[in-house]
Amino acid sequence: MKQLLQLSAVTKSFGAVRALKDISFDLRAGEVHALLGENGAGKSTLIKIITGAHPPDGGTIEIKGVRAEKLSPAIAHKLGIACIYQQPALFPDLTVAENIGLRLERANSLSRVDWKKRRQRAGELLRRIGAEISPDAEIRSLSMPEQQLVEIACALGAGARIVIMDEPTASLTEKETGLLFAIIRDLRASGAGVIYISHRLEEIFQFADRVTVLRDGESVGTCSVKDTNETTLIKLMVGREISQIFPLAESTPGEAVLSLKNLGCAGGGVKNVSFDIRAGEILGLAGLVGAGRTELARTIFGITPADAGEIFLRGENIEINSPQAAVARGIAYVPEDRRRHGVILEMPIAQNMTMAIHRRIFPGTWLRFGVERACALDFIRQLDVRAYGPEAPGHSLSGGNQQKVSLARWLATKPKVLILDEPTQGVDVGAKSEIHKIIRRLAKDGLAVLMISSDLPEILGMSDRIAVMRGGTIAAMLPGKSAAHDVMSAALGQKGGAG
Amino acid sequence: MDTDKHGFKTVLLRHETILFAVLAAEWIFFDAIGQNFGTYDNTCDILRHSCEIGLLALAMTPIILTGGIDLSVGSLLGLCAILFGKFWRDAGMPVPLAAACTIGVGALAGGLNASLIAWLRLPPLIVTLGTFSLFRGLAEAITHGVDTFTDFPASFLFLGQERWLGIPAQALVFIAAAIFFWLLVHRTTFGRSFRAIGFSPEGARYAGIPVGRRVAMVYVLAGIISAIAAIIYTARLGQAKADAGTGYELFAITAVVLGGTSIFGGVGSIHGTLLGVAAIAVLHSGIAHALLPGEMAGMLTGVLLILALAGSILPKTISDLRARKAALKIPKQTA
Amino acid sequence: MKKYFREISVAAALGILLLALAIFAPSFFQPQPLLSLVTREAPTLVVACGMALVIICRQIDISVGSQFAVCSVCAGLLAAMHWPLALVLVASILIGATFGAFNGALVAGLGLPSIVVTLATMVTWREGLRWLRQGVWVDLPNGVQWFGLPQMTGQWTLVLVALVILILLALALKHFAIGRFIYAVGSDVEAARLAGIRPRLMTFGVFVFMGALTGLAAMMNTIQSPQVDPNSGTGLELKTIAAVVVGGVAISGGRGTLLGVFAGLLLLACISPALTHLHVEAFWGKVIQGAIILLAVVADGLRNRKQRN
Repeated sequence: MKQLLQLSAVTKSFGAVRALKDISFDLRAGEVHALLGENGAGKSTLIKIITGAHPPDGGTIEIKGVRAEKLSPAIAHKLGIACIYQQPALFPDLTVAENIGLRLERANSLSRVDWKKRRQRAGELLRRIGAEISPDAEIRSLSMPEQQLVEIACALGAGARIVIMDEPTASLTEKETGLLFAIIRDLRASGAGVIYISHRLEEIFQFADRVTVLRDGESVGTCSVKDTNETTLIKLMVGREISQIFPLAESTPGEAVLSLKNLGCAGGGVKNVSFDIRAGEILGLAGLVGAGRTELARTIFGITPADAGEIFLRGENIEINSPQAAVARGIAYVPEDRRRHGVILEMPIAQNMTMAIHRRIFPGTWLRFGVERACALDFIRQLDVRAYGPEAPGHSLSGGNQQKVSLARWLATKPKVLILDEPTQGVDVGAKSEIHKIIRRLAKDGLAVLMISSDLPEILGMSDRIAVMRGGTIAAMLPGKSAAHDVMSAALGQKGGAG
Repeated sequence: MDTDKHGFKTVLLRHETILFAVLAAEWIFFDAIGQNFGTYDNTCDILRHSCEIGLLALAMTPIILTGGIDLSVGSLLGLCAILFGKFWRDAGMPVPLAAACTIGVGALAGGLNASLIAWLRLPPLIVTLGTFSLFRGLAEAITHGVDTFTDFPASFLFLGQERWLGIPAQALVFIAAAIFFWLLVHRTTFGRSFRAIGFSPEGARYAGIPVGRRVAMVYVLAGIISAIAAIIYTARLGQAKADAGTGYELFAITAVVLGGTSIFGGVGSIHGTLLGVAAIAVLHSGIAHALLPGEMAGMLTGVLLILALAGSILPKTISDLRARKAALKIPKQTA
Repeated sequence: MKKYFREISVAAALGILLLALAIFAPSFFQPQPLLSLVTREAPTLVVACGMALVIICRQIDISVGSQFAVCSVCAGLLAAMHWPLALVLVASILIGATFGAFNGALVAGLGLPSIVVTLATMVTWREGLRWLRQGVWVDLPNGVQWFGLPQMTGQWTLVLVALVILILLALALKHFAIGRFIYAVGSDVEAARLAGIRPRLMTFGVFVFMGALTGLAAMMNTIQSPQVDPNSGTGLELKTIAAVVVGGVAISGGRGTLLGVFAGLLLLACISPALTHLHVEAFWGKVIQGAIILLAVVADGLRNRKQRN
């Protein structure tokens, strides 16, 4: 079998972060090669290198035996590499046929548009993948899964020989998933190669030929699917030693501060969530990307208010239909997307830090720059924010320091419930440890902390209890001292654990 | 929006300084070549004539800070002017009561803009384009196009035509409004939230800022200010006509953008707007006193506006071009 | 057909208006005044087509009124210098295109927001024209009005020209790649770039084309009277933007048809004469225009909200 793609000793760093270390990866013609790994293991970076979005720092890429010196998205496209992302790059106001047409046709302005051919080709492609989507439908009216199917049709139409699918079934229904598998089988039969990224082990065992596991930017194993099993794969995925030392819990949790009963939000895909967060405890919320953790946080915080179930704050049934309502109740949310939601990049640190506490420190709505500056300096010291001063704008800070500013903003509200969404994502090791100490201290002071994290060691090291989400609801409630294996299994939906 | 706030601040400071320098240069130039330009009388005249547009520009600044725009302020001025006349003449109200009712109408009209823009989240450009037409049309329809209101009592005309404490009476209203808006934008949490909304409406929302209420506030304020400007206009001219305020919104927007407020929102200042109003007013007066064609003032204003815009956006454009050459963009994906 | 819902509703509104007129004011339907009305609006239709392209591309141009005035006066002056009319036409189009290029360079080249750029150019051209002409009308020599043809022929010619342009542009928008690129750029700039379309070039081109159409419309207007009013084109931007928005072109770009714009323009153009014939004061026309714009944008907003949920 010919090698469609061969990566040798590929490395890639972003600043101080080593995303890929000496990766070797190959794809044969007519194979489905699954790529497995936790969030942050390096899968996305690997894909970006293959599609030409990022150049590698070191190593070589060979496509069909020919070394690719300079890969760019346009060149990758020409070489027959197509990637289907979860966020499709489609034109919302145009029809499916037009979207496929614009992507596949060469951009020659003066040519006449052959609508019949466009509709025909779109119809053909859609039929081939078995999607029941009309070529005349506007993209805007399609659901996300349907849009993804259109993207797949585009890739097919482009005659791609190396097709990368990044979590394609994350939002598909059973029927659409079945269509996808048929497409993958067709691709394989036609001699194309498929790189399939997914967390769903059952799918991998269903039709993948080989599987490669990435961990911390390294490839820890490539084997034939026949020769392995779930347990082995999970072990490979999480197999690092949890050598990080986390601050110990020093107090026993008190009564429940926040109780969710059958909480649901149709728009966010959250269904039937029930659990308590107790004072003085850190409840870790684990799960894979797409499990609904951020959506749940947004529902509790009032960004996408709940349409089902109830929220109790210290036994009182409350309604949270806006972020203001949440803040007024003492609920704080440090968002996952710090650049868009956590920090306003154009504004100074001090202003960002005080943005949620205007009522308290600026009585009568008068700004008090002295008070603001003192508050900012205090937090800068507490959290060790590296900046040239409280007047430095948000965008002048590194990602980790921006995260600290975001955290400071919400700590300033002296909340009763603190929801942290990936609090140490993109933060360096030293700062991580500091933040962990702070979180543990907050819990000790009586705060109820809900910590969403994709970093397994962090979840395991910090949580007093672990709630695992899957498919928009709570799949399991585990004790804090659980094994990584158990958490991962619950997140993946596997039965049984290593004990 | 990845703009360099520190860099922007530098530009802005430079911008206001440059504008001040332009203003000073204008003054010196026109004083030299014009007749009776640099006199106290003329200065008062300039002040008197720029109050209405100045008020509109003050109200326009917070709107543009939030990333919005209001094209209907000039038309609303006209509507309020004739309604004021109607309240006084046809409904027989005493002047203060008529004024209060007019301001009430202004607030309601601003509320119309506010509800469509803040609640229904419709694009401000088109909404205010519609109300631009609606308000002017109402003004013309109510007066049947011909009716004007005159013969106001002298005590009222005092506001527009006489001086108090040595300066034009309406300037006191303008100064009060300027102080109010300066404090609002630069010293209160409202102003802070306007900027946050302008930079990132989503980011502001996640920070717990009541975006809808704040946005509604700036449009209702604009309505109230338009009404006040209408009353002053009527006092100055001694008559209220339906075509009052025609073209004023464009001058207001020009003054605001000239003063360094970014049309994208977030960046801007009231003192910049005041400088912008002054620059335009002095330009117009200077040209008249230099016996140059009045149209030159308009042309120069347009040119100044383009230069101001280009100057403020050039750093961003250059860094964008550089960034695009360096990195290649791909569609977003989850990790 | 759900796809053409907007176009159909506007046409229906127009139909109801005409029906009401037929019942209450049949004097509206006299052939000669109707022809005059349609002829007067023919240049507006041409400009509205250009405006539609600009708005579909997610931009706006409020300087068309001033461009129109300058082109009209220039055309008049050249005609008064006895230039052959064909050359005058070409000159008018080129002058308009130059204005458009200026706008386009600032918007596409420097990335300046089109609302403020066209605000600045609008004021500059208008004041410049007023300065040069001092409000003096241009007297056209004999033979210029209606191209020297009898009035009725001239009127029908203009109407035909406008309709032909409408149809050609509608066809180009629908059936030629370049037309689809405009929709693509207006719908999602990033996706357009990824698809190999060049958004900045398209934006620049759209503004140039807008200017050229304005120049053509100015010529069409000039030959309708024996004199050229330097104040022609006042309110043209509002009229055309209103027609475009009412006709279903979204201000957010990427959608709308010229058919809808045509229906929208007819609807708005009929309002004032309709008011006259119904013995309602003409001033209510602006009120109705404003209300229709608001209705249209509220309808768009509600439709978007439904789809996003």
